[in-house]
Amino acid sequence: MKKILNLAAFAALASHFAVAPAAAADTIQVFKFYCAQCHGLEGKGDGPNVTKDFPVSPRNFTDAKEMDKLSDADIKNVILDGGPAMSKSPMMPPWGKTLTAEQVDGLIMHLRQLCNCKGKQG
Amino acid sequence: MMKYITAASAGFVLLAVSSGSAWADAAAGKGAFDAKGCGECHYTDGPAKEKTIEDQLAKKGPELWYAGSKFQKDWLSAWLIDPKPIRPLKFNSLTEDNPADHPKLAGDEAASVTDFLMSLTSDAVEAGKVKPKKNPKGRQIFTKKMPCSGCHQYVGRKKKLTGGRSGPSLVEAGVRLNPDWILAYMLKPEVFKPVKMMPVFTGLLSDKDMLNVSRYVANFKPKK
Ligand code: HEC
Ligand code: HEC
Ligand code: HEC
Repeated sequence: MKKILNLAAFAALASHFAVAPAAAADTIQVFKFYCAQCHGLEGKGDGPNVTKDFPVSPRNFTDAKEMDKLSDADIKNVILDGGPAMSKSPMMPPWGKTLTAEQVDGLIMHLRQLCNCKGKQG
Repeated sequence: MMKYITAASAGFVLLAVSSGSAWADAAAGKGAFDAKGCGECHYTDGPAKEKTIEDQLAKKGPELWYAGSKFQKDWLSAWLIDPKPIRPLKFNSLTEDNPADHPKLAGDEAASVTDFLMSLTSDAVEAGKVKPKKNPKGRQIFTKKMPCSGCHQYVGRKKKLTGGRSGPSLVEAGVRLNPDWILAYMLKPEVFKPVKMMPVFTGLLSDKDMLNVSRYVANFKPKK
């Protein structure tokens, strides 16, 4: 009986993990492929495009104070339509024609993990 | 079946050699391309094969199946002899610089491989669309309105090398790239590069602005 229970618990655990980490791994890959070139592999705003000529610093996603000012809807806007959608620099590209809706939602969650912050509500 | 194919390709080579035209060189060039192991890093049969980010990251070099539409012949034959880095960073890397170690070809091989690569074209490229020109509107888009300069090096004001490092350098792109290909790539990126780190601008820039920015990039020439 005990053995069966353990197995059941294990199966439940395994199926839980099978979904979540796979999606998280995809999101990290999406982040590294598209965003890291400016925001850096760790999201600290220090990607290889950021030389001394780069006109504005790409947001450091680990800066909770700055990231807390943005709601999830703000983040979505700026990812889809680029910096100017939020009166920010056009150096932040519009990704609306490049990314799928799921990829954008995944990225918002990933940025929230990086800043460890919830952001402006509402 | 095997025998049939061999006989047919032998016939092709014979025909090509006997006609003594560019076809002969293209066939010889294909031979040299294979013999030199170029195919280990470049695929030459289209259409585009990449479907996922993994596919793109698994590649060891850029796809060449539309090389004849993308490159200018004079640039290509010279580059194969003396390949200088195009991408500031190592292919598919964000952390390492381009090691500048691309295989080189001798002059005669370079000429025939050039003929082979120039025979690989895509009918998604319309000829005669883009005349390279000084283009203030294109410049505005490239340097201000859109983030192009954030990822591509170019020579800016006062002959200063500037711009980002994640995309291929566009310095002297007007000598390297076919101007009509630049426009085709901007309008139909999915044909050439379905998975890439560059954002899709289709629908974000008007057709007129696509033309303006393509003209501007096609006009990146050596400064006299
Ligand atoms: C070409 C460089 C570049 C790339 C690539 C890039 N960004 Fe940005 N991003 C910027 C810059 C520059 C800023 C800061 C703009 C400003 O402060 O005016 C920024 C700001 C942001 C902000 C904060 C906006 C605000 O209002 O403070 C978010 C969120 C963001 N980027 C998300 C992303 C995501 C997600 C990706 C990948 C899909 C990405 N960025 C790719 C350059 C880039
Ligand atoms: C070990 C892998 C490798 C081999 C073998 C190789 N290449 Fe390349 N090739 C690359 C990489 C990586 C680049 C990008 C170089 C750069 O950006 O500076 C490249 C770029 C090119 C380009 C320019 C493509 C573009 O879109 O910018 C051409 C043309 C080319 N190679 C032809 C050849 C030929 C011909 C051979 C055989 C003699 C060959 N390559 C062998 C890896 C390889
Ligand atoms: C976020 C970075 C980024 C931005 C922004 C960007 N590009 Fe690119 N671009 C790239 C990368 C990376 C490639 C190479 C794609 C590949 O080969 O997989 C590329 C390729 C190109 C090429 C083909 C070059 C070659 O040799 O293959 C042209 C032309 C080009 N971009 C023009 C532009 C223009 C014009 C803009 C602005 C409207 C722009 N790019 C914005 C990153 C960017």
